[in-house]
Amino acid sequence: MIQFSNITVNYSYVPGAVKDINLKLRKGDFTLLLGPTGSGKSTLLRLIYMDILPSEGIVTIDKWSSYRITPRQINLLRRNVGVVFQDFKLIENMSVYENVAMPLIIEGYRRRYIKRLVHILLDEINMLQSANQRASTLSLGEKQRVAIARAMAKNPFVIIADEPTGNLDREASQNVLSLLERIHQNGTSVIMATHDYELIKDTPYRRIYIENGQVLPPARTIATPKTRINLLTQTE
Amino acid sequence: MKLLFVIRQTLNNLWRERTPVVATILTISIALTIMIALFEVSWVLYNELHDLKSNMVIEVYLDSQISGTRARDIQEELNNYNTIDRIRYVSKETAAEIFLQEFGENINDILDENPLPISFEIRLLPAFNHSDYLSLFKKQVENIPGVDEVHYRHVLIEKLETLTEAVAVAGIFVLIILLFAMNLLVRNTIKLSVYAKRRQIAIMNILGAGNLLIRLPFILEGAIEGLIGGIFSATGLIIIHKFIESSFALVSFSSTMYKMLWVYTITLGILIGLLTSAEAVGRFVNKIFSKK
Ligand SMILES: Nc1ncnc2c1ncn2[C@@H]1O[C@H](COP(=O)(O)OP(=O)(O)OP(=O)(O)O)[C@@H](O)[C@H]1O
Ligand SMILES: [Mg+2]
Repeated sequence: MIQFSNITVNYSYVPGAVKDINLKLRKGDFTLLLGPTGSGKSTLLRLIYMDILPSEGIVTIDKWSSYRITPRQINLLRRNVGVVFQDFKLIENMSVYENVAMPLIIEGYRRRYIKRLVHILLDEINMLQSANQRASTLSLGEKQRVAIARAMAKNPFVIIADEPTGNLDREASQNVLSLLERIHQNGTSVIMATHDYELIKDTPYRRIYIENGQVLPPARTIATPKTRINLLTQTE
Repeated sequence: MKLLFVIRQTLNNLWRERTPVVATILTISIALTIMIALFEVSWVLYNELHDLKSNMVIEVYLDSQISGTRARDIQEELNNYNTIDRIRYVSKETAAEIFLQEFGENINDILDENPLPISFEIRLLPAFNHSDYLSLFKKQVENIPGVDEVHYRHVLIEKLETLTEAVAVAGIFVLIILLFAMNLLVRNTIKLSVYAKRRQIAIMNILGAGNLLIRLPFILEGAIEGLIGGIFSATGLIIIHKFIESSFALVSFSSTMYKMLWVYTITLGILIGLLTSAEAVGRFVNKIFSKK
C-alpha cells in the first residue's frame, strides 16, 4: 500500500537527509517510526503526503506514484491521507467545528452532510460541547484531539502522525495514543513517528528504526529492541 | 458549501484589513471618476474636431478674367488629386446669387459688371483634413496658372487639433498614473490579506485544497473593492452630469448615456480589481509555498 523504493532525499543544504530507503508498509498496519532527532523521520512522512518529492527513487502511495505525479493528483492524494502534527496545524482563529469541517469543505460536500459528520467526529473525541470554541482557546491535548478528528474526517486509508505527542503531557499523550489505536482497530493504517519510547514501549506494533537517514536492519532491531531503544535514548 | 466558505473568507479578508481596504476603495472611486471624465472630454473634443474637419470647405478662387472653359480645364487638373472627395463648380452667376443671399444686395446693381470670380468648393477626404496637408495643398493649387487664391478656415482647426492632442497626451499620462495607483493599493490589500492568512493557506494546502479554493477569496476581495469603487465613482459621475445639465441649458444627456455611465464605470472597476488581485494573489501565494 505504501512503498519506498530506493528513496533518497536531498535538501538544499542537507544532502542525503534520507538515503536509499526501501520500505513496504502493509494496509491496516500500525507502524512506529523511531529514531533520534534529525534522523529523517519527518522527511519520510512528508514523502507520503508528497509535501516533498524524492530526489531519487519512487514512492508509491495506494494508487499514486511519485513518478510524474501532477499537482492536481497530489491534492487528490492528500484528501485521502490524514495528517497529524506535533504543532497540530489547526487554523487558530476558526472554531473547532470549522477546523474539523475543513477537509469536507475542500471536498465540496453539502452543508447538511458536513454537519452530521462533524457532529459524529466531535462526539468521538469527546468535544461536542466545544464545537463553537475557537481553536486558539483549547488546551494542547484538546487541540491534538481536534487535529485527529480533522484527519479522520474523510475516512482516509492511512493516518500519518509526526510526533503527535511531542507537546503533550503524559495523560494527554496516552489519550492521543488510545485514539490512534482505536482508529487503527477500525481498519485505518497508522504511521506514527515518535521520540516518546516510554509511551510506546509496551505496544506490539511494528517498529522501524532510522538513524542518519537510513533504516537499521530489522534483524538487529527486532532481536534487541530494548537495548536499541536505550541506545537511541542515550544519543539524544 | 464551498461557495459559502469562499464568500465568508472574502468578507473576512475585507473586514480584517478594513483600513487599507477603505483607502483602496476611495482611490479606485477617485481614479475611475477622473479616468471616465477625461475620456468623455477627449471624446467630445474629438467629435467636434471630426465634425469641423468633415464639414470643411476649401475655396479656390480663380483670377476674375478666367473664362468658363479655362475654368473647366483647371477643374480637370484638380480632379487628378486623389485626396479630393468632391469638387463643386461655382460660376460667376452662382457666386452672385450667394452674394445676394448673404448680403441682401444684387452685385450687378452695385457695379456695372459681375466682378466675382469663378471658384471651386473642394472637400477633401477626411483623412487629409489636417493642417500639414492643407497648407501643402494650398501651396500646390495656388501654383496652378489661373488660380488666384486658396482659402480655408485653418486657425480654428489648428487650435482644436493642438488642444485635442494635448488632452490625449495628458490623458494617457494621467491614465498611467491612475492605473499604477489603483494597482498599488489593490496589491497592498491583497498582500496584507494573504500574509495574514499564510498559516491557513499552508494548512489548506496540506489538506489537499485546490488552487482556486485557496486563491478565490483574495481574487474576489480585489473584485469587490473594484465593484464598490465603481459604484461610488458612477454615483459621483452621475451627480456631476446632472449638475452640468442643470447649469447649462443647452446641455442634456440621454438616459442611455446615464445607463452606459453606470455599466461602464462599474464594469471597469470590477475588471481592474479582479485582474490586479488575480495577478497579485498568484505571486504572493506562490511565495508562501516556496518558503516551506
Ligand atoms: N526543509 C528542510 N531544508 C533543509 N534541511 C532539512 C529540511 N527539513 C529537514 N532537514 C534536515 O534533514 C535531516 C532530517 O530531518 P527530519 O526533519 O526528517 O528529521 P526528524 O527525524 O524528523 O527529526 P526530529 O526528531 O527533530 O523531528 C536533518 O538533518 C534536518 O536538518
Ligand atoms: Mg521530525
